Amino acid sequence: MNSSPKLRPGLWDALVVLVVAALAVGCAWTVWGGQDRGTELTAVVSVDGVETERLPLREAAGTERTIQAGGYTLRLRLTETEVWVESADCPTQDCVHTGHISRGGQSIVCLPARVIIQLEGGESVDTGVDAVIG
Amino acid sequence: MKLTTKQLTLCGILTTLALALSVAENQIPLSLAIPIPGIKLGLANIVTVFALYVLGPAQAVLILLARCLLGAVFAGNMNALLFSLMGGFAAMGVMILLSRLRGLSVYGVSIGGAAAHNCGQIAAAVLSLGNTAPLYYLPILLGVSLLTGALTGLMAACLFRALAHTDLMKG
Amino acid sequence: MGTKRITALLLAALAVCGLTGCGGTRDPNEAQESIQVIAMDTAMVLTAYGKESTRAVYDAEEEIRRLDALLSRTSGSSEISMLNDAGGEMVPVGAEICTLIQTAGHFTEATGGAFDITIAPVVSAWGFTTDSYQVPDQEELQALLEHVGMEHVHLSGANASLDPGTMIDLGGIAKGYTADRVAEIFQQHEVPRGKVELGGNILVIGDKPDGTAWRVGVQDPKRPDEADGLVCVLNLTDAFAVTSGSYQRYFEQDGKRYHHIIDPATGYPADSGLTSVTVVADSAQGNGTMCDALSTALFVMGEDKALDFWRSGVYDFQLVLVTEDGRVVVTEGLKDGFVEMEESGYTYEFVS
Repeated sequence: MNSSPKLRPGLWDALVVLVVAALAVGCAWTVWGGQDRGTELTAVVSVDGVETERLPLREAAGTERTIQAGGYTLRLRLTETEVWVESADCPTQDCVHTGHISRGGQSIVCLPARVIIQLEGGESVDTGVDAVIG
Repeated sequence: MKLTTKQLTLCGILTTLALALSVAENQIPLSLAIPIPGIKLGLANIVTVFALYVLGPAQAVLILLARCLLGAVFAGNMNALLFSLMGGFAAMGVMILLSRLRGLSVYGVSIGGAAAHNCGQIAAAVLSLGNTAPLYYLPILLGVSLLTGALTGLMAACLFRALAHTDLMKG
Repeated sequence: MGTKRITALLLAALAVCGLTGCGGTRDPNEAQESIQVIAMDTAMVLTAYGKESTRAVYDAEEEIRRLDALLSRTSGSSEISMLNDAGGEMVPVGAEICTLIQTAGHFTEATGGAFDITIAPVVSAWGFTTDSYQVPDQEELQALLEHVGMEHVHLSGANASLDPGTMIDLGGIAKGYTADRVAEIFQQHEVPRGKVELGGNILVIGDKPDGTAWRVGVQDPKRPDEADGLVCVLNLTDAFAVTSGSYQRYFEQDGKRYHHIIDPATGYPADSGLTSVTVVADSAQGNGTMCDALSTALFVMGEDKALDFWRSGVYDFQLVLVTEDGRVVVTEGLKDGFVEMEESGYTYEFVS
């Protein structure tokens, strides 16, 4: 093939522009959800270091999630602002005792089940530390 | 595929040009605005468009492959290869299809190609990161592709116009 | 100018651009990898920067798992378990464990017995190993204390043996030693900056990408369940820091609280007037193990003896002591970059 394309923009090109623009808007709607997702509080569940589910609190509010890992079962409760483990059948119950977490960076850990539930996002309330020992 | 010497030389020059464009656009810190490492504007698609019309899809694909592989080697980063390949081939595929539509000018083809290029890059980012976080930037990139596509189209149009009466455009 | 000339110039210009671009624009300090690892009964987080950050953290994870298996007292097949069950026989535990036992022995000697890996049977008698807590009676403890002491441990090459009735647990330095090993792995991979959190044990390498020091908070023993219940913040670069506290593990019986840091001299939880001890040292090899061992030993020793020990200069480290009577005692080497937490209600003292 050896040809030269049209060199002047025409109506069809305007159509392509419209299609791409529509695509951009459509993506913005679905991916951004009409709101800046970047700072939305999300509970991230990981088992043995591998992420298994992401639960944006806005959508998961008022629900209960059962996490089965390491032979144990944890019941996770979520509201729009908090996340906590209502009950679990692990021997140490640290996860239940941790109580409610409500800020990005906080986490609930269940060692026997090897489960970590961490909150991401939210307003950047900075306690200013990169790690806590003790 | 049999290439005339002229075509072979042209392929060589175009590959080099595409590589140079690729490396040049690496200097533009797009990742400051859009924090996906390895993301590019896609200026090298000027060469893809040009090659598509002058040499045909088969050779354009070869040039694209060569550019992607060598580009990754020059950048010293094989991870960039994934972005390069997915972006480049997505653009190539769309442009091949669009170029068959006689009503479209080089602008339409380039814009379509740029949009596909960015979709390919986001797809590569999703694959390499392992989660869907990069999708967040797709709307912005699609908007940007309108601009980069138009720019690519403009430069390609200039090229075609400049070379219209040379031997290049005839066989 | 003809079209051919323009084309040629264009190509030449672009080629020049291409040549200058060959240097590469990627900043090796940008690459960052962070993974979570559950091992040694703790949730650990490893963060590394640099070109080899990914390989560094995964190599570190592999090493952590290896050490977890090697040093575990609860796993029936580990070398330590075999040693503890050998009833006096020589066991080929390997050079690494022998070196660790030797190192532990040095700390026992230096701290006058405040740190002692042979305290294991006593810790078990309190139920801390199995989580079935109980207060052992006096006679039981006296009998067990007969078997406590490094003189009951014998090393020969890569073999070790324990006098019958003696058992060891390397848990008191396991995480510190692991931190040392991770530090070495990170160094091998030329990691310019990083943060390794191993429970109450931290290693920081270099500074943060923005050039500031790593901010490490120390938990307030009075508010152990609050993520931001801190007694102070330390600004650290290239350092190990380990905290031991009575609030970390304890049980209550008949209104009394019994915690897990047993005094090898008495067999009872150390009653030293301290609620937490934080030991900080630079990131030289071996300091990870040292901070871990000393955090336990100095808790047992109490404020006065701990400060005397610090002043003696036998080891190079800094301290943050939190006392039962509401004071935070800080050695002057930590004065720079020390941030007090007023809302915690403690009074702060710097000592030299």
